[in-house]
Amino acid sequence: MSALSALARRAAAVGLLLAAALWPPAQAGQACEAAAASVDSVRQGLALAEATAAALDASGAQVLLLGRAGQDLRAHGLRWSHLGLAYRDGDRWRVLHKLNHCGAGDAALYRQGLAQFFFDQPWRYEAVAQPLAPALQAALLPLLHDDARASTLDEPRYSLVAYPWAQTYQQSNQWLIETLALAAEPAVHNRLQAQAWLRLTDYRPTVLALGPLTRLGARLSRANVAFDDHPNDQRFADRIATVTAESVLDWVQRAGLADGVPFIVR
Amino acid sequence: MLIRPLCPPPCLSAALLATALLLGPAAPAAAGPTEPSQASAASLAPVALLLAAPPLLLSGASQLTVVAVQASAEGTVWVLERASDGAQASVQLSATVAQGASVVVGTALTVSAVATGWLLGQGTQLLAFVPNERGARLLHHERVMR
Repeated sequence: MSALSALARRAAAVGLLLAAALWPPAQAGQACEAAAASVDSVRQGLALAEATAAALDASGAQVLLLGRAGQDLRAHGLRWSHLGLAYRDGDRWRVLHKLNHCGAGDAALYRQGLAQFFFDQPWRYEAVAQPLAPALQAALLPLLHDDARASTLDEPRYSLVAYPWAQTYQQSNQWLIETLALAAEPAVHNRLQAQAWLRLTDYRPTVLALGPLTRLGARLSRANVAFDDHPNDQRFADRIATVTAESVLDWVQRAGLADGVPFIVR
Repeated sequence: MLIRPLCPPPCLSAALLATALLLGPAAPAAAGPTEPSQASAASLAPVALLLAAPPLLLSGASQLTVVAVQASAEGTVWVLERASDGAQASVQLSATVAQGASVVVGTALTVSAVATGWLLGQGTQLLAFVPNERGARLLHHERVMR
């Protein structure tokens, strides 16, 4: 065994441990592991779903950003793990969002009820909702009912840490902000144009500090994590920019795309 | 049996709750996951139907016993009975849900009433959610196709 390969193996092993600390356990390409949900977790998910429906009703908004705390990201200074677009559909609420397929390298769009949105045994049973500016709500509402338009900028290739200024992969929050661009700006027809609009409106991604061992471990162990879309100079400086819920919530305030401040539901 | 994949959010596991739909006059037209996703094997699990039950059966019972397990073209039907008076309910589960559940004749299921419906469990493990009208408004699962 060469010293180099031994070093590489050790790095991979350490990286795997770090990756496990960064994300919940799952292996590259592995299908979903079956596990039973408990009566108690579903009871809590249903309670949060109903509380959220009441809070969304009370907001008077038709379209909001809705975030959940799916996993503990406090080590990265983050509270919310995932955003969807919640919208009123008659007397009920629907959430349009992008979901990764059980750790695989692809994802798709789903329209779900609030119950399904919170049935994922989250880290915390709480949600954040941000009403969008009325003009943006009006632009989004027909899009959210129109599968073809909602899918316009959807890229199935998925990376949990997709670079916000590339088109190689697309993670969930990235689909959301690019779709906001599509709705808000008639000149946007593709991802490149959407990203240009996001720059223009001062969207700023979160920069995660992920060292080389963490990156290597994550890439080796998980099909839904890739770093090859990040510029080399940033990647090798351990700076991984990606679209987080927090960065989106900050941006909509900064860009005048929000109506009021976000509220928490528990 | 409710099957939930362990994967980092945002993942499809949110879609996998075994749900039951009340059929009848109060049936919510748009409720419940009705389209098994092609996204993953585990996501083919979500649908159970409550075919028939006296109105007060679920609200009044804390424990039901499985008295029959029947295969049908649509899935598997469990016939549930309340010990105190013999009142019965029929629950239809998708094949995937039924396969994952270790339910045989004689199995005791617990029923927990919540504001949005009822939770059928085996011990602490959930088998199916039976929504009432409030709960049905919270349920929907649909893959958005291009």
